[in-house]
Amino acid sequence: MTSRERVLAHLEGRPVDQLPLMPITMMFACLQIGARYRDYCTDYRVLVEGQIRTAEKFGFDYVNTMSDPAREAADCGASVEYFDNQPVAIVENQALLADKTKLASLKIPDPLGGGRMHNGIQALALFQERVGKDKLIEGWIEGPIAEAADLRGINTLMMDFFDDPAFVRDLFAFVIELELRFAREQINAGADVIGLGDAAASLVGPQIYEEFVWPYEKKLVDGIHAMGGKVRLHICGNTRRILPGLGKLGCSIVDLDSMAPISEARQQMTPGQVLLGNLNPVAVLRNGDPAAVTAAIAQCHRDAGAPFIVGAGCEVPRDTPPDNLRALCAYAHTHQP
Amino acid sequence: MSDLKKLYEAVVSGDAKATQALTQQALAEGVDPLKLVNEQMVPAMDEVGRRFEANEYFVPELLISARAMKAALELIRPILTARGDKPVGRVAIGTVKGDLHDIGKNLVASLLEGGGFEVIDLGVNVPPEKFIASINEKQANIIAMSALLTTTMPAMKTTIDALKQAGVRSKVKVLIGGAPITQKYADEIGADGYSENAVGAVALAKRAVA
Repeated sequence: MTSRERVLAHLEGRPVDQLPLMPITMMFACLQIGARYRDYCTDYRVLVEGQIRTAEKFGFDYVNTMSDPAREAADCGASVEYFDNQPVAIVENQALLADKTKLASLKIPDPLGGGRMHNGIQALALFQERVGKDKLIEGWIEGPIAEAADLRGINTLMMDFFDDPAFVRDLFAFVIELELRFAREQINAGADVIGLGDAAASLVGPQIYEEFVWPYEKKLVDGIHAMGGKVRLHICGNTRRILPGLGKLGCSIVDLDSMAPISEARQQMTPGQVLLGNLNPVAVLRNGDPAAVTAAIAQCHRDAGAPFIVGAGCEVPRDTPPDNLRALCAYAHTHQP
Repeated sequence: MSDLKKLYEAVVSGDAKATQALTQQALAEGVDPLKLVNEQMVPAMDEVGRRFEANEYFVPELLISARAMKAALELIRPILTARGDKPVGRVAIGTVKGDLHDIGKNLVASLLEGGGFEVIDLGVNVPPEKFIASINEKQANIIAMSALLTTTMPAMKTTIDALKQAGVRSKVKVLIGGAPITQKYADEIGADGYSENAVGAVALAKRAVA
């Protein structure tokens, strides 16, 4: 069974030979090829090489294009800062939509227009060419609140929920259109799964999540399904209070950060929901030892039950000891769902 | 005569307009501004912090309450300064060099202000020299550093080393926090305190100046 077959079979409820393994790597993958992270973010060939080398070295079942949260925002014209050795970051004090009225004239950039989104799409095409027969290929988009925060400034957006809810809805609607266009081109380029990152959703409570965020996340998920794609949802941070909502989106995979008990996700979501996760990536994967990693992922597996995919909670930290990551991977390779 | 309890409620509910109006009214009536701070605003922000820890309030609620409190402080601070009243402590807070994340730092800054501290917010991507300048030029007695990434947290050690080099380390307490930070790391780099959450940071700061 190839890696790609393994993941797709597992998502469809068919038997597999071992647990699928899909930890998120960004800076760690770049380190495997000794490249600058600036190049990993801006040159799709570097990203592809880093992902493939990492997937092969550690036995991952997939590769992905996630490098930083600022692809779409940069193409919209947001002010971003590039660093040699860490992710591209939004410059919040120069937020593109610091002036709300600018939304009315903001154009959706062409994902194939030669910008950062296009670079991500080129990565997918190269993945398809190099490993498409063996590995699952995962693209990435930002979710409604994450992208809105990138365009408006996260501190300001948080207060907009109270100050101007109508503007928030207008901004989310813009983001949905932007992200669906980006997702479509990624699927056309060969993405089997679209990763959906909506980190800021863990900062709002269940009331704001259900009233504002969930409806737009649902539009995105439904839109991607209509294109024939699958969705892996990942919200960094503590999503414990919004687990029921995450479960109702209908995502193929719900990927939980370590603060959300995976046992509670299992109780609160439909029985067939594929859960991915979720040991503590810093305290255990980076700072622990192989035995601690094995114990932690075994506990995650017990708590999650089936269906389950092995992951790292959040991004594998750059300086994670390789033997610790090997321990995580070995668990997947030697266990059945 | 003002019902001062309404000021407490306005801060807790995040109503900046009401907070400002009630503060103006109370000051016009001759209420001691320090009484407003100590009996209404500090308890209000304590309650906001409690609700945040209890997962009743989240980041949006905390930010609008902090905004309401700042609206009042803008009216009160000039009076206290003119009178020579001193804050509980003076905290220079920032996200370390190379890191642009600031939501956590902003929450801590707001709660510190609500706790009676004067806060010098240095922003994000703060090099050690700026922390040092806040000690020499603004008499900060607490340095509070935040980092969200494992790749930027080494800047905390760099900053502490720079404080030592500049001969100002003994003048301040250094407190650190952020998602990848642990007590073990704080001990390793010689920080004076670590908090895993914003409310704990205020308690830590109060102990630091006691």
